[in-house]
Amino acid sequence: MNAYSLAPLLLLFPAIGVLFNGLIGRRFVEADAKVGERWSGWFASLMAIGSFVIAVLLFLSLQANEFQAMIVPIIDWISIPSANFYIPWAIRVDTLSVTMMLVVTGVGSLIHIYAIGYMHGDPNFSRFFTYFSLFIFFMLILVSGSTYLVLFVGWEGVGLCSFLLISFWFDRTNAAGKAMNADAGRKAFIVNRVGDFGMILAMFLMFWAFRSLEFGAVFNTAVEMFEQGHVVEFGLFSAPIGTVLTAITALFLLGATGKSAQIPLYVWLPDAMAGPTPVSALIHAATMVTSGIYLIVRSNVLFELARESGPVIFGVISTPDLVAYVGAFTGLLAGLIAFTQFDIKKVLAYSTVSQLGFMIAAAGMGAYVAAMFHLVTHAFFKALLFLGSGSVIHGMEHGHHHLHEHTHDDHHGDGHHEEAPFDPQDMRTMGGLRHKMPTTFWVYLVGALALSGIPPLAGFWSKDEILAHGNEHALVVYVILAIAAVCTAFYMGRQLHMTFFGEPRHAAAEHAQESPRLMTTPLIVLAGLAIVGGLLNLPYLTQAMAEANHNHPAGIFLGLEGWLEHSIKSFELSEEGILHLPHTPIVLSPVVAGISTLLAVLALGGAFYVYRNKPETAADPDPLQKLKPLWWFRILPFETFYMKFIVPPFNWLANWLAFAVDWNFWHDFVHNNLIRDMFVSFATFLADVFDKFGVDGTVNGIGSVTKGLAGGIRRTQTGFARTYALGVFLGAVALLAYFLWVLY
Amino acid sequence: MPEVTIDWYIALSVILFTIGSLGVLLRRNAIIVFMSVEMMLNSANLAFVAFARHLGDLDGQVLVFFVITVAAAEVAVGLALIVAIFRTKKSINIDEMNLLKG
Repeated sequence: MNAYSLAPLLLLFPAIGVLFNGLIGRRFVEADAKVGERWSGWFASLMAIGSFVIAVLLFLSLQANEFQAMIVPIIDWISIPSANFYIPWAIRVDTLSVTMMLVVTGVGSLIHIYAIGYMHGDPNFSRFFTYFSLFIFFMLILVSGSTYLVLFVGWEGVGLCSFLLISFWFDRTNAAGKAMNADAGRKAFIVNRVGDFGMILAMFLMFWAFRSLEFGAVFNTAVEMFEQGHVVEFGLFSAPIGTVLTAITALFLLGATGKSAQIPLYVWLPDAMAGPTPVSALIHAATMVTSGIYLIVRSNVLFELARESGPVIFGVISTPDLVAYVGAFTGLLAGLIAFTQFDIKKVLAYSTVSQLGFMIAAAGMGAYVAAMFHLVTHAFFKALLFLGSGSVIHGMEHGHHHLHEHTHDDHHGDGHHEEAPFDPQDMRTMGGLRHKMPTTFWVYLVGALALSGIPPLAGFWSKDEILAHGNEHALVVYVILAIAAVCTAFYMGRQLHMTFFGEPRHAAAEHAQESPRLMTTPLIVLAGLAIVGGLLNLPYLTQAMAEANHNHPAGIFLGLEGWLEHSIKSFELSEEGILHLPHTPIVLSPVVAGISTLLAVLALGGAFYVYRNKPETAADPDPLQKLKPLWWFRILPFETFYMKFIVPPFNWLANWLAFAVDWNFWHDFVHNNLIRDMFVSFATFLADVFDKFGVDGTVNGIGSVTKGLAGGIRRTQTGFARTYALGVFLGAVALLAYFLWVLY
Repeated sequence: MPEVTIDWYIALSVILFTIGSLGVLLRRNAIIVFMSVEMMLNSANLAFVAFARHLGDLDGQVLVFFVITVAAAEVAVGLALIVAIFRTKKSINIDEMNLLKG
């Protein structure tokens, strides 16, 4: 089986989806909303499913060809022969990229189908699916590119789609009249610029050092240079290869903190929840935000070389360790903030930040397989949770709508009755929804338990692998992550109880209704994946299979560990190679697993106990509000810091640049005063002095002199013939006299 | 009877020229001014032929024929002008012909 040549179809399908919905989808929807939505939505979904089929074929091809990485060229993108500079646009089919393709297209297809139900009735239905297909397209470019530059194209493209989809309802305003959705989109875009700046610098540095941006070439050159102790010349100075690699990887980390929402750039992700819920599920939970982890795992050679270079950053820490700490602290901080949120999607957003922290920490510790494992299972259960929350919101809106119509009918004519602004996402107004929305409740329960790390659900296996690795290699990281895991279980218990248990705290919750089948079916599929996702890399099973197939290197999927091995060591070691990637066999440490399971169960139980009968009404304070140190996180430390210390000076500087430098100095002074006024005064001099006195003076002068002379001379023309005759006579006499005088 | 020398001819020529010039300068009648001009021309003619004979050279006599020819043409044009002027102005007073002035 060899389907490598089909790889370009992977990108073609979503591109067709974009063209279809972007060009004619709108006409379909406008012509007939019901049929048009079906066409628009299903066309986009089928394109995503088509890509998924291609990804599966690529997966099977890899199985059949001993997991050989394959470069499938599309076009020569940039080609400058004189500089020996070639950037092809090619698809790299290897086990890592195919894993990402399967997640993106698989989860993406389910969310597409869900979105047909969720976006029903939206006037911009086809625009939504245009952006959605565009996102799938760019995400696949990101994961399939064979060079860092193509990866970056996808990286920017998904950022654009993220911006477009967060501010999808850009005309929505909050009570104060601020365009919150548009603001959230801008915030995401601007914060990501900081990370992208790191990406660009990293690529510049990489190209300078290795003369290539192609993955394989960069890794081979890096290993070679590292072994030779190469010194990279920068013109004015030079730096050993270890330092350069540390700088490149640190800049990659900056890029990853932007895209994958880590400290210090995670602040955009919670606000990104302003977008439609399918967007939150697909882009801001399952796929796009994991591209930072993909980047680190893809660059594992560079990170391991940076680890070998020792603590280069300020002489304190090496990049991978920094990555691990950033991930761990993000995991903990976001977990703590999640306690204090009332918005059902905000809790999930901080949870996503926290789980991304787990993945980043795993990648930083060298547990690349664990990071990818958690990435995949997280995609399942976090997409499930977001879609579940979307279903809840949908139900609450439905209930509110119903309620509104109801009161309208009953109290017709008894004047205005003041209604508090209703937020369908506020968990305080929910409660008791398990009876109203049973399907949503059960799948949500599965997702929440998977996220909390309750065995045997998917989240348990992947999270435990990270924790086990931390326990073995980085105790500090392990402790932080263990606390973060406890937080996870607690806030999920809190959310479960506030949303689904107890009594309804708002009339809307009483009238909430289950979502349509189109929405619940993807939920059930995702719930199934969240249950069995752990099988992807089950510790004992994987080892047993690996041993059983020891003499049978190709052909069977041996779990993520054996599968990803072919990509994560995708470089050649020279004979005296000094580079040893830490081998991370899947070990189930019973102690670690036992401790984390116990803690998770305790935290869930604790949450249920704390919230057993509180809050009673929507206006009641949260029981945690008494715990001042914990509730302190509601101020959102990084956001507050940025708003106090970064944004005002930045705005001041921007204003200063705009008004003082650009407007007052550049336009008013340089343009108006210097250039325009000087030009005007020169022109005035030419017009009023040179032209008037110089040119006009000369011409008029000649005229008036001629006129004056003529005025004098014409008097001699008296008109009397005898006068003239006298003149002639006298002239003749004078001539005669002259001749006589000359001759004699 | 004294011999008529070249001096006599020159003296007569001078007298004729002087009378002619005085006539041109002093008289107002256009016809008389015209006749005075003719007299000046003929005084010159006289001087030409006198010198031609005295010097034994025919050039002066040839020139006189030209002068007489030109004078004849001039008289034709001039008298026509005077007739035309007289028809419009009813006068041939030369001082009244002063329309062309600065």
